[in-house]
Amino acid sequence: MKKALRHLIIYVLLILLALFMMGPFLWLLSVSLMPGRNVFANPPAILPTFIAFDNYVQVWEFMDFPRYIINTVVITLLGVVFNIFLSCLTAYPLATFRFRGRNLVFTLLISTMIIPSATAMIVHYLTIQAFHLGNTFLGVVLPAAVSVFNIFLMRQTFLGIPTDIRDSGKMDGASEFRIFVQLVMPLVKPGVAVIGLLEVMAFWNNFLWPIVVLDDPQKYPLAAALTYLNGQFSYNFGWIAAGTMISVLPIIIVFLFTQKYYMEGIAGAIKG
Amino acid sequence: MYKAIRSESFAAWAFMAPGLLFLAVFTFWPIIYGVPLSLTDYSVITETHFVGLDNFIRAFQDHNFLISLWNSLVYVLVVPVIQIISILMAILVNSRIPGVKMFRAAYYIPVVTSMVAVALIWSWLLGNNGVVNYLLLKVGILSEQVSWLSTSSTALYVLMFITMWKGLGYYMMLYLAGLQGIPADLYEAARVDGAGPLRLIIHVTLPLLRPHILFCTVISVMGAVRVFDEVYILTKGGPGTSTLTSSVYIFQKGLEQFNFGYASALGLIVSVMVAALSVLVFRLNRRGGVNTY
Repeated sequence: MKKALRHLIIYVLLILLALFMMGPFLWLLSVSLMPGRNVFANPPAILPTFIAFDNYVQVWEFMDFPRYIINTVVITLLGVVFNIFLSCLTAYPLATFRFRGRNLVFTLLISTMIIPSATAMIVHYLTIQAFHLGNTFLGVVLPAAVSVFNIFLMRQTFLGIPTDIRDSGKMDGASEFRIFVQLVMPLVKPGVAVIGLLEVMAFWNNFLWPIVVLDDPQKYPLAAALTYLNGQFSYNFGWIAAGTMISVLPIIIVFLFTQKYYMEGIAGAIKG
Repeated sequence: MYKAIRSESFAAWAFMAPGLLFLAVFTFWPIIYGVPLSLTDYSVITETHFVGLDNFIRAFQDHNFLISLWNSLVYVLVVPVIQIISILMAILVNSRIPGVKMFRAAYYIPVVTSMVAVALIWSWLLGNNGVVNYLLLKVGILSEQVSWLSTSSTALYVLMFITMWKGLGYYMMLYLAGLQGIPADLYEAARVDGAGPLRLIIHVTLPLLRPHILFCTVISVMGAVRVFDEVYILTKGGPGTSTLTSSVYIFQKGLEQFNFGYASALGLIVSVMVAALSVLVFRLNRRGGVNTY
């Protein structure tokens, strides 16, 4: 009996918290499904009285969403590929080789995590301009092409690979690179998946840096374009809500499908 | 044996070269270049001169900068709130009951959502005649509406609330990972000794979560001082300067007014402040707080 009571209390708390966390999203969903309703009417609209997808159709056509989605996909893809590629390549020796200068590299990497730069964006802006990459997708992606966090995460994963793999590869006469690509990399898929997910979320939601780098609003990714949406149609709440839902749903769906890897990845990162 | 290390050295550096190159340009360089930049008055429009410590002297006489530092410090108050609530949430979702994984995912959704969307939703909920005002009036907590984001006395705290709302799931996950690393026998042993749930939390859970609490607090403090997105999207520092935080001010000086030299100096001051706060958190973790075994 006591156990049932405890479970009941837990469920009540869980549900209340869920209302708190998800409530705003569900409300946005209901606003997006009600064409023409005023969000600030009195009493305010909370539950949809009818459901219509007009807002979605209209804002899709008006805002040229396909373009922004393509921009976002390109930026995200570039960012994820760069990150996986660079963090794996850099982390591998740190986990498996013995070499001169290893401790130096470690110290340098860790020190960057302790000294955060409050003016990084400013220096990145100057750097990108100097390389004539202003207003390009590469300019948006490169400053975040690799991060110390990702390197350490991959290093943690590589540390879990048994050394026999490398030894057997060497006995067969393979070069280090071949061992890396054909023997080791297939074994670190979980680590790669975590980095991929984290970077997909980071790049998909990034709005500030793209606005700084890109002069042409046609090149904006979704999050950046959203800020314009709000500016242009300040009173068409249904459209803004629908536009916001469109840009937010892909990430939520990706997250829901890949939760398992995500949770395991976080747990693994904590240990490292 | 020496030859083996040498050939490994070559391979090692070959592997690391591309990544290190990117890090050099985009991670090390900003940290290094910030220093000489802060000693000039580089601003794209005018000629650049070496001005020594002028920027720093100017910074401490800059009323708005000092206000922004203060606001950033006030923002740090959100850290203990987030940490305590997320630890409690983690304990709650650590229960082994059916469907709990669904709830964990639900609590994480604000984290994966873009701040642009989050800010938009809350700006509507908190606006005049919005849902929040309506509910508070109906329940009787308020006697008249409050312009949450346009009133200087409430705006900063409202932003802190939004930061908290979006961040709880993230820290909850980190703490959950920590909780799941605590062996169940410890709880059993304590229960056998007669400890109730509250004592279990204070004397078993919290001490063993110490490293996680330290880590989370440090990154939370760093995040709080350098908060940007929600402030920039919703208030841009207003009304007046009530929500002007250090990152917003630096951004305005650097990327809106293109005063790169001055902005770099401001950035350095803030970095030092963040480093000092981190050290403080480390110290507090050792002295006060909970005792470890």
